[in-house]
Amino acid sequence: MKGFKKVLAMLLAVAMVAAMAMGCSSGSGDAEEEKTEENTEAPAGDDAEAPTEDEGSDEVLKGGGSNIIYVITPSVSNPAFKAEADTATAKAEELGYEVKAASHDDDPTKQTELFDSAIADKAAAIICDNAGADATVEAVKKARDAGIPTFLIDREINAEGVAISQIVANNYQGAKAIAEKFVEAMGEKGKYVELLGKESDTNAGVRSSAFHEVVDQYPDMEMVAQQTANWEKTEAYDKMEAMLQANPDIEGVMCGNDTMLEGVCAALQAAGKKLPVIGVDGSDEAAALIKSGDATGTALQQFAVIAETAVVQADKYLKEGSTGADEKQLIDCIAITSENVDKLAGFVYTE
Amino acid sequence: MAAKQNSGNNKLAMTILKGRTFIVLIILLIFFSITADNFMSAGALLTVAKHVALYGILAIGMTYVIITGGIDLSVGSVAGLAGMIAGGLIQEGMTLKMFGVTLYFSVPMIVLITVLLGALMGMINGIVITKFNVAPFIATLGTMYIWRGFANIRSNGATFSELAGSEGLGNTGFEVFGRNLAGTAIPCGVLILAIIAVVAGLVLKKTPFGWHVLSIGGNEKASKLSGIKVDKVKIWVYAFSGFCSAVVGIIATSQLVSATPKTGESWEMNAIAASVLGGTSMAGGVGTIGGTIVGAFVIGVINDGMTMCGVTEFWQKIIRGLVIIIAVIIDQVQRNLQAKMALQARNENK
Repeated sequence: MKGFKKVLAMLLAVAMVAAMAMGCSSGSGDAEEEKTEENTEAPAGDDAEAPTEDEGSDEVLKGGGSNIIYVITPSVSNPAFKAEADTATAKAEELGYEVKAASHDDDPTKQTELFDSAIADKAAAIICDNAGADATVEAVKKARDAGIPTFLIDREINAEGVAISQIVANNYQGAKAIAEKFVEAMGEKGKYVELLGKESDTNAGVRSSAFHEVVDQYPDMEMVAQQTANWEKTEAYDKMEAMLQANPDIEGVMCGNDTMLEGVCAALQAAGKKLPVIGVDGSDEAAALIKSGDATGTALQQFAVIAETAVVQADKYLKEGSTGADEKQLIDCIAITSENVDKLAGFVYTE
Repeated sequence: MAAKQNSGNNKLAMTILKGRTFIVLIILLIFFSITADNFMSAGALLTVAKHVALYGILAIGMTYVIITGGIDLSVGSVAGLAGMIAGGLIQEGMTLKMFGVTLYFSVPMIVLITVLLGALMGMINGIVITKFNVAPFIATLGTMYIWRGFANIRSNGATFSELAGSEGLGNTGFEVFGRNLAGTAIPCGVLILAIIAVVAGLVLKKTPFGWHVLSIGGNEKASKLSGIKVDKVKIWVYAFSGFCSAVVGIIATSQLVSATPKTGESWEMNAIAASVLGGTSMAGGVGTIGGTIVGAFVIGVINDGMTMCGVTEFWQKIIRGLVIIIAVIIDQVQRNLQAKMALQARNENK
């Protein structure tokens, strides 16, 4: 009995360590992959693969045969992805499709499984906000081989000619626009910190480099700390508190997304401070913080517009054999500050 | 004479080994006070304590569970669901469809409901494990997914963000659990951690219930034969773990003044790590609450210290992992040494 327990205990320890090791390896592995693609320009695809891909993009995919559209997004506990999934679902249903919405929780393996399900289900098309710029390519190819067109939204993949459309928010332009407002709010000088998104996500790098392209022009702006908070609120809260302790004279915070902005604002409120804070996304929570003066601004990624565009193009492609647009499409972001925050609701900006 | 010298050395080694986590903690504190400016300040240490409070409380419940020879993987999910229950009750109240009314409870009432439901969730773990004979790892792995699913269903994945309550409904004041105690710099969570730690520590050491917990972990069969109601004790232990998780859920959502279904994801790993670092044996029967608290502080100091130094997340993970493995290795060395000393003492007595 005792011996058995020892074995069990060892197994548990091994499982724990393995879980941690996996967490580490996938994290750092993805980071390496990301290094290849750091800006919004079309990523350099693998030259050797290019010809076959071009061949592939000539034929028109008919869909799997059924009338089902799969909407695959990251966890809908993030309101941005929820807006995306909800809009895509509503639009597809309006166009007469049956919709199956699923979440891959940013796990490429789970995403592949979902693609497999879609293929088995003979889906007509897949709308996907993917779980990794490299890890997704194979899944999209597999769907293509099964005759199912994939329309990528919000995040790009590192291959062209595989998906039919890649419709993304212009993160670069959006982050730059809101960084201008940040510099303005800081009075072009002072110490600030930056919270980065998950490093395996292309957008984290794009947004950060766009921020710095603007902010680094001002010699009196000094970044005293930079940390990853994995797009998460609790992590941002904890890290912000720690960074405030290390640098009590912080005068501003740049966040890679609005969820982290919320965490930062909660930490600043707890510390009794009000500083310029910017984010990217344009969530209702961020809008509320901008209204109350706790945050400076955010760059609205028009998730609803992006998702709707993808569904409309999927419908057009299935009916006419072409979307009538380039594969890569950028939808501009809108800088939201206290001046225009009233026009924002549910990721929709109404003039 | 030589033998005596030897046993003296062994005793010194034992003392060092027994206090190893504490020594590690002190080394870490010294290290970070040198490398990170402002680390050795009351404010920074209270911030660390505030962050430690969350998984420290989880780890206290976890320690009880591990001492009985079990494991509770569902703690993070229970914390998440508890946060959603509390958040939902404040923002939306409880709608009774048959009467067509919506009830809003006061904050103390909401806290009571939440922790009781948390304890109930833990109790379900205990019942599945004891009455249906499911291995704790499997049973709590299952409930981990189930509670996380319910947390998402509660709000359909959305966040409850209006937790300030309103005067008219009489449910204001939820944010006190995440703030400092009125008029002091002590975070409320740290006080709750201290209270739970003291009570749990005393119960484990001084009460028959605590002795039963320890003896079940040491030898379940012998405990059963000597008349301990093993199943009942285990169910209460899991209920306690659920209670602790619910408390953490309340504090975490209160800090952010918003409840998201993601709260507490993978926190069970921190709780297990804190227990193991504190000397709790995964084989059961051995463990103290004091040790667990020290273990939780080691993790907390590593996390916040490295953040304050500007070390990236990836290295933080590696270092956290190494500390845990090394702690377990030292644990094995200590146990071997203990066995050797016991043997030596027996020989000397002869």
